[in-house]
Amino acid sequence: MSDLHNIALSPNQTILLNAAILILIATALYRAERKLDGNEPWIMLCILAIFAIAGRILLDPLPNIQPVTVVVLLTGIYYGAPRAFAVAGIVALATNFLVLGHGPWTLFQVVGWGSIGVAGALLSDRLLIDGKLNLNRLAVFAAVSGFVFNWIVSLSILMKTDPSMLIPYVLSGLTFDMFHAAGNILFVAWMAEPLGEMMLRHQTSPNQKAVSEVVTN
Amino acid sequence: MSDKLKPASILIFVALVLLAPSIQDALSKEAAKFVNDSESSHDGLPESWNESQVLCVLYPVDFPHEDYNSGVTMIQSDGSTLGVNDDYNGTGVCVGGFTGYTEGMTFFLDATNATGGSLSVDYDVKEWGPYVHTIGGVNHDNIAETFDGAYWNLDHNGEISMVGIGDLVMSEGDVLVWSITIY
Repeated sequence: MSDLHNIALSPNQTILLNAAILILIATALYRAERKLDGNEPWIMLCILAIFAIAGRILLDPLPNIQPVTVVVLLTGIYYGAPRAFAVAGIVALATNFLVLGHGPWTLFQVVGWGSIGVAGALLSDRLLIDGKLNLNRLAVFAAVSGFVFNWIVSLSILMKTDPSMLIPYVLSGLTFDMFHAAGNILFVAWMAEPLGEMMLRHQTSPNQKAVSEVVTN
Repeated sequence: MSDKLKPASILIFVALVLLAPSIQDALSKEAAKFVNDSESSHDGLPESWNESQVLCVLYPVDFPHEDYNSGVTMIQSDGSTLGVNDDYNGTGVCVGGFTGYTEGMTFFLDATNATGGSLSVDYDVKEWGPYVHTIGGVNHDNIAETFDGAYWNLDHNGEISMVGIGDLVMSEGDVLVWSITIY
């Protein structure tokens, strides 16, 4: 049998190929969203989850650069804590089971990203003012989230070693944490505004919901 | 405001990419201070090695090294065999009697070379440094077929190393142990 599909790629070729796939997926999702009439929060959540899953898998060759943290943070801001936690969970599960490896750390990743979604929901009135994102604040918050997420996941080593190893472990990983923070700032700067506008179109505000419930009754 | 954020985000990223190696270097040195100088890591090794740097490679029961398949063979840095410890936990080989190494990778390659070819090493170079997959002809992927997965685990003075071999900073009397861990 021939093995023509099995082409060995250099790291740079892999990154280029993956970037191309991610751009195709993102464009498809963007166009799909354009066809909606608006006010479809669950479809928007699916779009966000698909983008985060694809982004995390395809950007894996880059150290700790992935859109999941910023996507979960925005989900918390626009859609509240429960939905952000659900997105965090499904993204961590799907990516780990598909490609990156499932283990006890998956739980820590779900809790880590979930907490960032919850924090985003709690601070939403400071980050989203009159329907407009305060990008500078969001960038700072996203950078801090990068560190916090990694430290929450680092706690998983306590299942194997004693607490005295936590400090050297976190110290050795700080460069990796910095890449996560810098990546988050990049995603906020280039992606948060268009993504936020999209999410706003599919946001059912609590007031509207109350009105529609009254009408149907 | 956001006009400044876009170029700033790229600037921060590029600065980090450029500075990352030196930041990691400083952090590894800092983290190395937390590695305890455990004397018990020298237990079972020749007494003449007590003050010197030692590298051990231990093999799983089902995948022994062809030459070092009974007990743990103790080899001096000049290649001479000091003896075999049958009470050591596992089978494999220890190479000792080294001094003055500070870089983990250099020490690892020199120590494995000292056995005269029986401990050939193979590794991939990843973005974050060397990833060791084969020591002495045993590739962790061959073992992984029987289990969910297996990898070469690195212990530094009796504790799991917090950094890869490429970032490991050594001091005198340090003991490094490679052993297959199965999950």
